[in-house]
Amino acid sequence: MDENIINQIREKAKELLSSGTVECVIGYEAGTDGMTSRPAFIYEASDVERLVFDNTCTHNLATYLINKKTNKVAVVVKPCDARGINVLLSERQIEREKVYVIGIVCQGVVPVSWSGSGKDLQMRCKLCNQHAPVIYDFLIGEPAVEPVPTVSPWTSVAEMESKSSAEKTDYWNKQFSKCIRCYACRQVCMGCYCKECFVELLDPEWVGIKIDTSENSMWNMIRAFHLSGRCIGCGECARVCPVDIPLGLLNMKLAKEVAEHFEYRAGLSAEVRAPLATFNKEENLGIGE
Amino acid sequence: MSVDYQPKIIGFLCNWCSYAGADMAGTSRITYPSNIRIIRVPCSGRVDPLFIAKCFKEGADGVFIAGCHPGDCHYVEGNYYARRRFVLMGSLLEYLGIEKERYQVEWVSASEGKKFTQLVSAFTDKVAGLGPRAEGQ
Repeated sequence: MDENIINQIREKAKELLSSGTVECVIGYEAGTDGMTSRPAFIYEASDVERLVFDNTCTHNLATYLINKKTNKVAVVVKPCDARGINVLLSERQIEREKVYVIGIVCQGVVPVSWSGSGKDLQMRCKLCNQHAPVIYDFLIGEPAVEPVPTVSPWTSVAEMESKSSAEKTDYWNKQFSKCIRCYACRQVCMGCYCKECFVELLDPEWVGIKIDTSENSMWNMIRAFHLSGRCIGCGECARVCPVDIPLGLLNMKLAKEVAEHFEYRAGLSAEVRAPLATFNKEENLGIGE
Repeated sequence: MSVDYQPKIIGFLCNWCSYAGADMAGTSRITYPSNIRIIRVPCSGRVDPLFIAKCFKEGADGVFIAGCHPGDCHYVEGNYYARRRFVLMGSLLEYLGIEKERYQVEWVSASEGKKFTQLVSAFTDKVAGLGPRAEGQ
């Protein structure tokens, strides 16, 4: 736990709340298990002592901005979550003037589960090449020179791609058969903000109530597709999945395709349109001859 | 695979070019396999990836999509957007274990009746060659 970072967050939160600049500060506080942290919503300047920051702060707090649109709020973000804010801004889901971004130069977070936290960094943090937030109003920490990742971020995707159709079918069927369609992956995602999700529509009914792997696959396939070119890779969906479906492996595949075809990575700027919301007349993309 | 296995293919054809192209094939009396069940859509941009996923979920052996050539879209730019979606959806399907031969996107204009029949015949042969979909695919 870095006292310096925590003190700066608390000071800033106190300043923002007591001056009335923001209604609420969304940050992290210590969880009741004494090992991990959890999201905290601070409304009073006297409560800022609750705020903490350590390597168990895995949650993407940008998710909560969607339901806090009326008054100005401050939010504590890691670099990955900051990309999420850019996605929400570019999709006109939040207004820049109503969000005060407290960006943190992040050294990575550890896996967090019911039973506590791990020691080793999460895979996405090991592969991270962006330790400073892309968008912030107040920066905590010094941006350092980015290390050049030695491993390709697409290693696990390439491994999956190299399998035969039968092996892939078998693998994903095993994974999706576990799905209980609790939609935790959707609820935790900053990109899944539709008030009416396709999965709940009854007419047309895209995903039936039948307890069956085919229905589960449909949900998982379309969930991933709807996040193509929008997923920032925060990994929250996979973390909250109660049956440990490797959703990151699906999201990464689409991120890879988007990077290869459109040279795009989600959230780097709020000004650029997502690849599926625009087009280039000249591209061929291998369709037709 | 039984001898009389016939693949079930769903075809999404854009109203302005490809459906007219299929019409052209019909009025020109060119035969093509009847395995394709054609669904007329206003534009290839109307084909939501949900449609494709649903076709495969409900047991289709192949999905064939055809729209106006790029630059010829009745709605000016519908097929440009669609093109990007189809590419991503195609790679996602393949990643999930649906052979890429089961999914094809083509541009067919209203005058290309002949081309339409050739594409559909070739696609049907390809899908038939793969045999029925694997259990639970």
